[in-house]
Amino acid sequence: MNDDELMAAVRDAFEILDPVPADVLAAARASIAWRTPAAALAEPAHDRGGHAAGVRGGPARTLTFVCPGSTVEIEVAREGRYREITGRLMPSAAALVQVRHRDLPPGGISARAEPAGLFCLPRVPAGLVSLVFRLDDGASIVTSWVRL
Amino acid sequence: MAHRDGTDELVVRARGGDGDAWARLVERHSGLLWSIARSHGLNDADAGDVVQTTWLRLVERIDGLREPAAMACWLATTARHESLRLVRRRGRDLPRVPAPREPEPGPDRVVAARERLGRVGAALEALPRRCRTLLRLFALAPSHAELAAALGIPVGSVAPTRARCLDALRRLVP
Repeated sequence: MNDDELMAAVRDAFEILDPVPADVLAAARASIAWRTPAAALAEPAHDRGGHAAGVRGGPARTLTFVCPGSTVEIEVAREGRYREITGRLMPSAAALVQVRHRDLPPGGISARAEPAGLFCLPRVPAGLVSLVFRLDDGASIVTSWVRL
Repeated sequence: MAHRDGTDELVVRARGGDGDAWARLVERHSGLLWSIARSHGLNDADAGDVVQTTWLRLVERIDGLREPAAMACWLATTARHESLRLVRRRGRDLPRVPAPREPEPGPDRVVAARERLGRVGAALEALPRRCRTLLRLFALAPSHAELAAALGIPVGSVAPTRARCLDALRRLVP
């Protein structure tokens, strides 16, 4: 066997031993539906605390997302399989806040950010989450996906 | 190379709303992303998480991507970072998740798989874990650039590492 044949045999062997599960592929195929070309992407800048899974009353996790001109700060409290997200949008602005999550229909969980930019999402399922802010002036901001 | 397999063109088409192009990207690259997660010792759930997160990271950036040709490297780097992030998180989390496991197909499948795996499969099982993991990544990465990104090593050290592991495998294949 030459190198290429050996490599092909290795590839085949792992394809038999440990293939990518079908549900993982299906989720990857479906992920393109989460595109938001018109929204500004707010990327994670800080992620602190709250790493003691299952420990009640531990410090809440705080995350900061930034995009040019705006910052989103959230605090995440654990309650079993759910997360309570409280946060604020800066500079302060009124907006519709929507939770994006694989197990939720579009707009399944949403809240209003009051003019001071404060909002609360009391029962978000654990998992990969992204928040979309639809500002009253027509602009929108989307946070990078994060596991909560 | 990214150009050779048309990955850059698929990215441009997917960005234009071509669902088939996206599906082909996913089919082409998910194997490497899964292997990168496995190379960090992650179990099924965590490896699935890494693959999903990596694709979502591409989706959130796809409209601003300046160099679609570099996407394969970018995917590999992202999967490595997400894997490391999960490993760190698991290290801090209590209770700990069950130890990462090798896949455990049923006995019938193992017998059938062994027959199909042949000499190379048997040799792979005899190799040290590190070498087996590296060979898997070597077999799946489209080029040395993606491999360097997957491993977090300089491109220049890929070829000697690959040669060493191939030699080790060759000694075991009768």
